[in-house]
Amino acid sequence: MSIMSYNGGAVMAMRGKNCVAIASDRRFGIQAQMVTTDFEKLFPMGERLFIGLAGLATDVQTVSQRLKFRLNLYELKEGRQIKPKTFMSMVSNLLYERRFGPYYIEPVIAGLDPKTFEPFICSLDLIGCPMVTEDFVVSGTCSEQMYGMCESLWEPDLEPEDLFETISQAMLNALDRDALSGMGVVVHVIEKDKITKRSLKARMD
Amino acid sequence: MSATRSEEVQTGTTIVAIEFDGGVVLGSDSRVTARDSVVNRVMNKLVALHPKIYCALSGSAADAQALAELTSYQLQLHSLEIEEEPRVGAAATLAKNTSYRYRDELSVNLIVAGWDRRGGGQVFSTLSGALLRQPFVVGGSGSTYVYGFVDTAYRPGMSREECQQFVLNTLALAMNRDGSSGGVAYLVTIDQSGAQEKVVLGNDLPAFFDK
Repeated sequence: MSIMSYNGGAVMAMRGKNCVAIASDRRFGIQAQMVTTDFEKLFPMGERLFIGLAGLATDVQTVSQRLKFRLNLYELKEGRQIKPKTFMSMVSNLLYERRFGPYYIEPVIAGLDPKTFEPFICSLDLIGCPMVTEDFVVSGTCSEQMYGMCESLWEPDLEPEDLFETISQAMLNALDRDALSGMGVVVHVIEKDKITKRSLKARMD
Repeated sequence: MSATRSEEVQTGTTIVAIEFDGGVVLGSDSRVTARDSVVNRVMNKLVALHPKIYCALSGSAADAQALAELTSYQLQLHSLEIEEEPRVGAAATLAKNTSYRYRDELSVNLIVAGWDRRGGGQVFSTLSGALLRQPFVVGGSGSTYVYGFVDTAYRPGMSREECQQFVLNTLALAMNRDGSSGGVAYLVTIDQSGAQEKVVLGNDLPAFFDK
């Protein structure tokens, strides 16, 4: 039994033209059994910054809460919103503190710079190794399926509406090939002046 | 039952069979998994052993297919020897015999159901190499989630249509809860005139509470 696939789950983020999108499934299960279909895996960490956490469900909740705590202190001390790249380093630091007894999660981050609105996406492994990409990042029990979907569907400079369609199809079809992920999809599209949150109608099996 | 082997292809599965006066209804999901990966999402697990006798497969995909093919062969031979349409009990006994003899090597549960002239509609469970006739049977990994439902929903003397709805409801509930079950629902209704196969796609399945 693998700890990373005990609860199942999937998150991904994509970069578009002056926008980013982040998506997750909604399943919380215990091995093969589904328990609920409304489990949050995407968490706002700033006006235009989201983190998505896939992996062991208890750590998804603990890490998001502890991260928010550190972020709140940062914002109080600095008097401003955190930049996505700096936030990535904060996450990396939090995870590496537990190098020899890690949190069993692999996060993805998506957001826009608070001043320049430059789009940014990255992912990290469970001990905090950061990886910044120009196209997409995926994490979860169906990461291979998600890589396949993203590699074929993604293209650069997608407008927000097209980016939404692309990330939605990539998620839906990857999740259908994983027994431990699914039960609905949540997609957030982050632009300079608005964030659009949508729930997709998905297979509930 | 032998334990699950590591990377083996499992049919995960939810299978159901129920008798009504004059026939039977069998139902299955369509998901095949290898560990967590869905390798086939449209597999029909209802296999004909004979025009009016079907079996529902669950457990290891290879074991189930091998057992069904062997039983089908033995049943055909038996039918030629007695010069008559075979009885459902005969099909179930043949499946049970192989299942019992190789119980330590095989990981399979076959539900055998059909119609014959002498007994009408009959459903047999061959779990672990035993042979049991029951008014309805559920099997596969998804069955554990629906025992409560089937025990409450079943009433003796249900009509053909009520039985079909019973099977669909059972499958829909199990497919929702069990990660190893899903896809589409296959239904087979067998009576004196033969077997009718039907597919119910995911969005046409009954929906129950799941926020």
